[in-house]
Amino acid sequence: MSPAPAEAGATRAALRDPVLAPAVLLLWAAVALFVLYPITRLLLLAFWDGGPTLGAVRELVSSWQHRRALWNSLLLAALVGTTGTALGFAFALLAVRANLPRWVGGALDTIILLPLISPPFTAAIALIFALGPKGLISYHIFGIAALNIYGLGGTWLSETLTYFPIAYLTLKGVLANIDPNLEDSGFSLGARRWRVFRTVTVPLAAPGLANSFLLLSAASLADFATPLILGGTRFPVLPTQAFLQITGLYDMRGGAALSFLLLVPALAVFVAQRWWTERRSVVTVTGKAGAATAVKILSPGAVGLLGLVCAMTVLLVLTFYLLIVAASLVRALGADNSLSAAHYAHVFGGGLKAIRDTLVIAAVCMPVGGLFAVVLGFVVARTSFPGRRALEFAAMINYALPGTIVGIGYLVAFNDPPLALTGTAFILVVCYVFRYSLAGTRATTALLAQIDPSIEEASASLGARRDVTFRRVVLPLIRPALLAGMTVLFIRAMTAISATIFLVSLSWSLVTVRILEGITNLELGQASAFSVLVILLVYAAVLLASLVMRRLNAGSLGQAGSLLGG
Amino acid sequence: MSAAGARLRLVSVSKRFVRAQQGVAAVDDVSLTVEPGELVTLLGPSGCGKTTTLRMVAGFEQPDSGRVLIDEQDVTGLMVYRRSIGFVFQNYALFPHLTVFENVAYGLRVKRLAEATVREKVGRVLALVGLPGYERRFPNQLSGGEQQRVAVARAVVVEPRLLLFDEPLSNLDAKLRVQMREELSRLQRQLAITTIYVTHDQEEAMAISDRIAVMHAGRVAQVGTAHELYRAPRSVFVAQFIGRVNLLPARVLRAEGGRADVLLWGREITLAAADGCETGRTISVVLRPESVGLLSEGAAPPGREIVTPGVVRARTFLGEKVEYSVEVGGVLLQAVSYDPLRHGLVEIGARVQVCCDPASLRPLTDR
Repeated sequence: MSPAPAEAGATRAALRDPVLAPAVLLLWAAVALFVLYPITRLLLLAFWDGGPTLGAVRELVSSWQHRRALWNSLLLAALVGTTGTALGFAFALLAVRANLPRWVGGALDTIILLPLISPPFTAAIALIFALGPKGLISYHIFGIAALNIYGLGGTWLSETLTYFPIAYLTLKGVLANIDPNLEDSGFSLGARRWRVFRTVTVPLAAPGLANSFLLLSAASLADFATPLILGGTRFPVLPTQAFLQITGLYDMRGGAALSFLLLVPALAVFVAQRWWTERRSVVTVTGKAGAATAVKILSPGAVGLLGLVCAMTVLLVLTFYLLIVAASLVRALGADNSLSAAHYAHVFGGGLKAIRDTLVIAAVCMPVGGLFAVVLGFVVARTSFPGRRALEFAAMINYALPGTIVGIGYLVAFNDPPLALTGTAFILVVCYVFRYSLAGTRATTALLAQIDPSIEEASASLGARRDVTFRRVVLPLIRPALLAGMTVLFIRAMTAISATIFLVSLSWSLVTVRILEGITNLELGQASAFSVLVILLVYAAVLLASLVMRRLNAGSLGQAGSLLGG
Repeated sequence: MSAAGARLRLVSVSKRFVRAQQGVAAVDDVSLTVEPGELVTLLGPSGCGKTTTLRMVAGFEQPDSGRVLIDEQDVTGLMVYRRSIGFVFQNYALFPHLTVFENVAYGLRVKRLAEATVREKVGRVLALVGLPGYERRFPNQLSGGEQQRVAVARAVVVEPRLLLFDEPLSNLDAKLRVQMREELSRLQRQLAITTIYVTHDQEEAMAISDRIAVMHAGRVAQVGTAHELYRAPRSVFVAQFIGRVNLLPARVLRAEGGRADVLLWGREITLAAADGCETGRTISVVLRPESVGLLSEGAAPPGREIVTPGVVRARTFLGEKVEYSVEVGGVLLQAVSYDPLRHGLVEIGARVQVCCDPASLRPLTDR
């Protein structure tokens, strides 16, 4: 007997609850101010000029450059979605279905995690070092001088290498959930490997593949850093065009309109992805996993081929990171390869303020955002009040939107009194909290789904108010979600740029912005040194988090890693 | 540790759940009084509204209408945490991150009692439920029965005005269930806390309760002691839910002054009349299987028993008893005979005389 709660009665109870009602009001107020308000201001700026108007959009679409940007963004998203998913699927097949030794799998996970937690320009810088005009690989090894990585090709390659780990983590989960017994029954019915793969494995993984394609397309659509470095004028995309419209032409209205052009495909992809994810659960319900049979779906030849593809990718990724490390340690990689500590001297000299600022902001984000995430997750999962679904949706908007839109929205909304907040540490923290708390919220709802509500009722029956129950019972039980949420916030605070580039100032700067400055000033060595530092800091944080997580006895690096996908 | 028991009164409590556009009455106009120190069981099949009723007493659910009174104080709108109740959940709902000691101490700590008092009370209650020395264990290190005891200890240590059990024994194996229900019964008597106990197991209800409220389709069908319900069910539902039953059709010849003469098996017998025994109406008469006697053809029935011929159609030997299906006038009648080693077995296909004492019959009129 588990009756569905009657809405009316539950609502009455919620309104009478002396703790829940203020908590919900507070959440709504925060979401309204920092999610709905900026988006509304952005909408008004783009579509309101004494009355509703499409003037700004019409102007944009009439511009050849902007039409190209829209087309380029869509093309790039489709290409990255396809190649990234293919690469991720190859890795996932190898990891789940090839009986690799455990340490190989572990090493694979660690290396593949690198692009996910790196600052945004890493792959792009490395690509310039490797394949640029005086590239170490293209010029110094193969003697090719004519190779031009600026444009679609370079952006595509760089984004594929940056985002395929998302596909890997998604598809690994999907493949692991496909009972090998299903493949075995295919074999027992006389089908050969390729046929079983085609008729059993791939159809069962299809929703996962679609999901991964959409996730990667969304990431590519929103990506600002890579096309900024590698796209150049030859390959404009929407986020970079919007950025240049505002910072170069000081055309706020045009930037707003451009970001809305980006909003349409981004929302379409987001909605499609949600739809697929909800369908996927049907597929993975295959009952109890059967006996661990030796997996035979991959022939030795197939394993060899997949191994080759994956090994070359890993090699490329490793080379990239070695190049970054090397570039940070020599005077000018490719031109003057003599060892030098100058770049690090700069990082810990003039760059120290950016590092300190970033760490301070990350340190504030973690508890604030972590708590926001778990409280939101708890309220959404365990209580019933009018507008619960709407709150859940509204809180997700900033996460779903490309950072460029969020950044421009904040710039429009919070640039003038009474809410002149741009350039303060406060607005940076707020931006991260509302943009990157979703991982913690999802982890919370997932954990709560495994905790019987009667545990909270037991606490209430013993005389505890809802806040006491939350503090003494719920919070200790969802510590892993809190930890995961805080880890993601730390990583994002250390590596994000697309939204916050609009919000930094002289008084509060960020490491990622210094990396961008290094690149635009052609100080690639400095940019590399900053990147290495960020990677080390983030890796240390992930390692620490996974150690604590292991002590909390709930999950591993892989689980924490899968939460970084967004 | 003896809390003065409180009187609980439910006055016309109703609650409807809306499921997929169709209003399903979960609890429909339930009124019930539980006296101080009494243990009343809400018994019924799943979906009958017993758990919802219990959760409304606790305050987990709000009734749509009606009132809940504890010691004549209206607590209908009071939040759970202010009602002073102890609730024992079906799955125990122990806090997995706390030790046994901290689980039991939880309610005391919420009340901000002094540490020494907390220690003393927790120690005492753990001794009471037979778990001294378990203080530092975690719930996942306990057996089902031990978790059950901790859950009970946690509920009673705060000296609640009411103790509420929601199918507390359904997760235990059969043997442990019998043992635990005896312990619960002993503990409840010792502490004299007014208790409501929800179960779908009629044997458990009969074993543990002072009174039983049988629930059916959101309503209280009948309230009474186990003996009253078994001996004099007032509806077909109660008759069939408590124990096994044969329902025999009988025509009312005369009804007056609380007595009714009915025609059964061709004989006129007099029964204590139920409401609705009108002359000429056909009613059902309750005959429990163990009240049915089987005699060989030609044997004389003892005393004033009435008889009718039948044929044995099926037989199940269960050791301490034998169950027979006997065809009487085209209808199968259940009969149980105890101690078959002494009384012997009747063969399938045998022609017999079916007999019963009219004093063991009870009329029903609701169908």
